[in-house]
Amino acid sequence: MSAERPEIVIDGFPQRRPRWMELATSGDHKDIGRILITGALGFLFIALIELLLMRLQLAIPENTFLSPVNFNRMLSLYGTTAIFLFALPLAFGLFYYLAPLQIGARGTALPRLGQIGLWLWVASATVLYAGFLFTPSEAGINPLAPLSELTFLPNNGVDAWAAAAGLATLGFVLLAIDLTTTLRRMRGPGMAWRRLPVFAWATAICSWLMLVIGPVLLAAIAMLLIDRNFDGIFFADGGGGAPLLWQHLSWIFFTGTYMLILIAAFGAICEIVPALVGRPLEGRTTVIGSLVAIAAIGTLAWIQNMLTAPIGIAWMYFAMTMALALIVPFGLIFYNLIATIAGGAVRMRAPLLFAAGAVSAISVGLAAEISHSLVGLAWKLKNTTDATGATHFALIGGAVFGGFAALYYWFPKMTGRTMGEPLARISFWTMILGTALAFVPLLFSGTYEGQVIDAYKFFGDEGVSGYNLIASIGAFVLAIGIVLTLVNAILSRNGGARAGHDPWGGDSLEWFAHSPPEPHNFDVLPDVRSDRPLHDIRAAIAHRTARAPERPARESQPVA
Amino acid sequence: MSPNSPATDQIETLFGIGFVVFAIVALAVNVALIYFLRRRRAASGAQPLEPQDGGRPQLRIGAALGAFAVAVFVFGLVFTEKAREAPATGAAGLQQKDADSLTIKGTGQQWLWRYEYPNGAFSYYKLVVPVDTAIDLELDSTDVIHTWNVPSLAGKADAVPGKAHTVSFRADEEGSYTGRAATLSGAAYAAMGTEVEVVSPEEYESYLKQLDADIQAAQDTVVDQIESGETP
Repeated sequence: MSAERPEIVIDGFPQRRPRWMELATSGDHKDIGRILITGALGFLFIALIELLLMRLQLAIPENTFLSPVNFNRMLSLYGTTAIFLFALPLAFGLFYYLAPLQIGARGTALPRLGQIGLWLWVASATVLYAGFLFTPSEAGINPLAPLSELTFLPNNGVDAWAAAAGLATLGFVLLAIDLTTTLRRMRGPGMAWRRLPVFAWATAICSWLMLVIGPVLLAAIAMLLIDRNFDGIFFADGGGGAPLLWQHLSWIFFTGTYMLILIAAFGAICEIVPALVGRPLEGRTTVIGSLVAIAAIGTLAWIQNMLTAPIGIAWMYFAMTMALALIVPFGLIFYNLIATIAGGAVRMRAPLLFAAGAVSAISVGLAAEISHSLVGLAWKLKNTTDATGATHFALIGGAVFGGFAALYYWFPKMTGRTMGEPLARISFWTMILGTALAFVPLLFSGTYEGQVIDAYKFFGDEGVSGYNLIASIGAFVLAIGIVLTLVNAILSRNGGARAGHDPWGGDSLEWFAHSPPEPHNFDVLPDVRSDRPLHDIRAAIAHRTARAPERPARESQPVA
Repeated sequence: MSPNSPATDQIETLFGIGFVVFAIVALAVNVALIYFLRRRRAASGAQPLEPQDGGRPQLRIGAALGAFAVAVFVFGLVFTEKAREAPATGAAGLQQKDADSLTIKGTGQQWLWRYEYPNGAFSYYKLVVPVDTAIDLELDSTDVIHTWNVPSLAGKADAVPGKAHTVSFRADEEGSYTGRAATLSGAAYAAMGTEVEVVSPEEYESYLKQLDADIQAAQDTVVDQIESGETP
């Protein structure tokens, strides 16, 4: 060994930080997406517990299981958890994980923004549930002013709600900024807008929608916090305040969110159905156009939630026009999905099963919901359990059935393993039974007996006892079904059958990446020539194999 | 919920037809979905069809859906307008001298309804109105938003503090009609209800006189008690 030779000295390997810290500080869209999706599913479980507590209280007339105040707390927490901590983060988690893969990007454009978005959401969940340390909000799912004012709810529950909803919304807005930028600037070679998969289109539409409706709620929440903490009078009666202003602003957000959840669900369903029936989506352009129309027209129908308020009749007809105009885009989507199935070779696997369940539940929910847009009928049906039933059909259809369809479909991509099929089937049929049992009776008790919404009790002489008992049993059945899929996901995380990079024969680019994808997503990117890049690749390989001589196959025959 | 006023008659018609129409729509979507899922699955080894290109079927379906939406809109508009028509006082009703409808103030408060009659008398919880008479119920609230809801007599209407809101109805038959407030208004919201008792015009007049006398008597008692030093 000569002393002149330079040597490279290594003092051990560079220390890797612990896994959780890697994950928490990661700017990788897949890590952020996975945390959002996992967290959302966790909060689905918590929302279920809250729902079951309320259904227990409403199982028999004049029950005293929950005190009125505790019932109102559960009601507020349930709605807020279901929307801000389950449905929206699940949608945005899926967008954030999948859209960059689908457009052939190696990451997102503004990863730090996505990271802030994620941690704002975590902060939101913390603030909302920290409310248990003092007192959670008692003002309901949408805390209508003036009930949410300091005079009527002087504890800090509403402040916690406002902070939680505001933080989460701000987080989603930041995620939406990152997603719109990514979709605009980072599409792979040949990935023109017209070739974007439907789910990536849904991502773009929902992100733009969040950029419009998010700030509206943030403004309303800022005013509410000023009212409560700095003697403001935005929503207070007397001194020029306008209680109806809160309703306008908040319903713009909640109506937009309703549409956002359905658009995300249809985006996923329009990927799942073509893959599992083996043919491209019918009327692809029409479906994408319909999703855009739903975002715009649906949000403009926000006054549908205010049809009993003292506002001009012309505004009510405006809402009715917008709501009924939605029949066209929703109808076209239903038509094209069914037409796609009609011409396909159906492989009835779990994702398709859940997608079909989602379409079914959404169709029932929308049919019930749209009858609320007929102004005269709304005076009868609004704020009855019919509204509860309709909204739950549409949003459980969209967020739970649609979300689970997406989970079953993309789980192999995210973990490299397939979720168990037998448990999926049991879970699905339990959930279908549970949804029907839990919400059909509510539709009837609302329409025929006029049972009012959000009430902590009902009386034995109202004729609604039977409906409510069935609904409570149904809620438990539904919960069992949902928990079965959550258990399935946990068991399959490490124990599921190994999946290749393309277990379903999907047509979009995420199936080109490894399962799970490398941190940089793709080693090489194909040149995209159509809206079905993977179909093109498969066709090219088949073409080459057909032309090649059959020599390799013969030579590999074992010699006897 | 049996209708008992001209407005709820229209609303129930709207409901009856609308329910059937939308039930058929939801049923059609589900039947088609299940049928096609099962049909193709049963035909084993079925090859998927090539996608049909071209916008004509899309346009046709879109136009059909649009026509359906317009039809539903016209239907909703017609019946809503009929339901909104201010009812006129009938022959058996209370014939007023100067105006044809009877104006009563309804004020929501946590968690009770207060009604004030034209002669200044007031009652809580129970509203007494003459049969066959057009009533204008002027809603207001002293605190949070409450929804006045007596489904047999009229549609729901919100009482928003500081915002005038009138609900008009005419009860066609004597009897007692109840309803529950329908907007979450705080802890005792579920217990907040109201009862509308519909009586003959004569009974209504005598009820008002009795109410007035009772209030006067109660006030006199209080005044007596204060003057005699029983109550501070």
